[in-house]
Amino acid sequence: MSEEKGLSRRDLLSIGTLAIGGIISIALGIPAVAYIIGPARRRVQEENWIRLGPVSKVEIGTPTLFKARVERQVGWIINEEEISVYILTEDGRNYVALSNICTHLGCRVRWISDQGQFFCPCHNAIFNKQGEVVTGPPPRPLDQYVVKVEEEQIYVLGG
Amino acid sequence: MGTQVGNWLDERVGWRKVWDAIFLRKIPKVNWLYTLGSATLFVALIQGVTGILLTIYYVPTPDHAYDSVQFITTQVPAGWLIRGLHHYGASAMVILTVLHMLRVIFYGAYKFPREVTWFTGVFLLLIVTGFGFTGYLLPWDQKAFWATTVGTRIASVAPGVGEWLLLVMRGGEELTAVTLARFYGVHVWVLPASLLILLTIHMYLVIRIGISAVPRRED
Repeated sequence: MSEEKGLSRRDLLSIGTLAIGGIISIALGIPAVAYIIGPARRRVQEENWIRLGPVSKVEIGTPTLFKARVERQVGWIINEEEISVYILTEDGRNYVALSNICTHLGCRVRWISDQGQFFCPCHNAIFNKQGEVVTGPPPRPLDQYVVKVEEEQIYVLGG
Repeated sequence: MGTQVGNWLDERVGWRKVWDAIFLRKIPKVNWLYTLGSATLFVALIQGVTGILLTIYYVPTPDHAYDSVQFITTQVPAGWLIRGLHHYGASAMVILTVLHMLRVIFYGAYKFPREVTWFTGVFLLLIVTGFGFTGYLLPWDQKAFWATTVGTRIASVAPGVGEWLLLVMRGGEELTAVTLARFYGVHVWVLPASLLILLTIHMYLVIRIGISAVPRRED
């Protein structure tokens, strides 16, 4: 053990080794953690308007299905994927864009026109025309896109 | 508190004896050149850590290798640092291993009773070179591609087995996806496993026999 006077040579070297080792571990450890969790924290995907199609296609009072291709960059790979959006209007001026992804576990819902409701085949969930849950396990109404009409074309804000 | 935990553990696993054998062993009065082995070991450790981290993003196929390396370097946080450490660490490994070997040669440390330590060391140098050679291809850029084209072609001029060696190294006539995949497999599995085995023997012998003293004029 060290004397009251101060540290022994051995103690000083031990502490020095530990300190330098600690500094190196931290200097490498922090970047390593940032490196591993980096993509999980990433929210780039700048928002852009996705053109769905002509507004004339929408029937008043009936959700109409539009499909659009969007490019999405995941890591170093650019994927092209298709999104499906139901456009609903009651008056031809105000539009609602509903996602077709079930809010329960992500299956695709479809509009059953005879019954006037959306149906999810995975767990028999039913949503009404406005996308609100009628029966079944989904925790919230269908998600909505921000929608705009410009020069007779419908756009939704994707990200 | 720390001492109590240490004692509790020591009674059960006897770690103090191992610790003392490794870190508190007696050594002769030597100079700084005797730290080259430890320096090599330290860089090898860094190479292991950064190499494992790189495999989290790197994909060894021709359509993804280059892009995934670019992704690591430009997109992943600290990716440039991890890749940079691995890149420069590779050169440091070769330099340090060779310097360590030169010290052993000039101080005559390879002699009895340390011949086996020397033999394992020679193979460890070969493994380090192998790491350098296989790792050089992995970024899959022009330099990597043509360096490996030339490197494998050099192997082909070996008398008798040359052409066969070239085919085995490339996994075919040309440098292809097969080549990249096998270089990767060798780089991350075959060589690390071999390194670990030989390094264990090497270190065991260093600790068991002890390091050599600086030779005196009269020896």
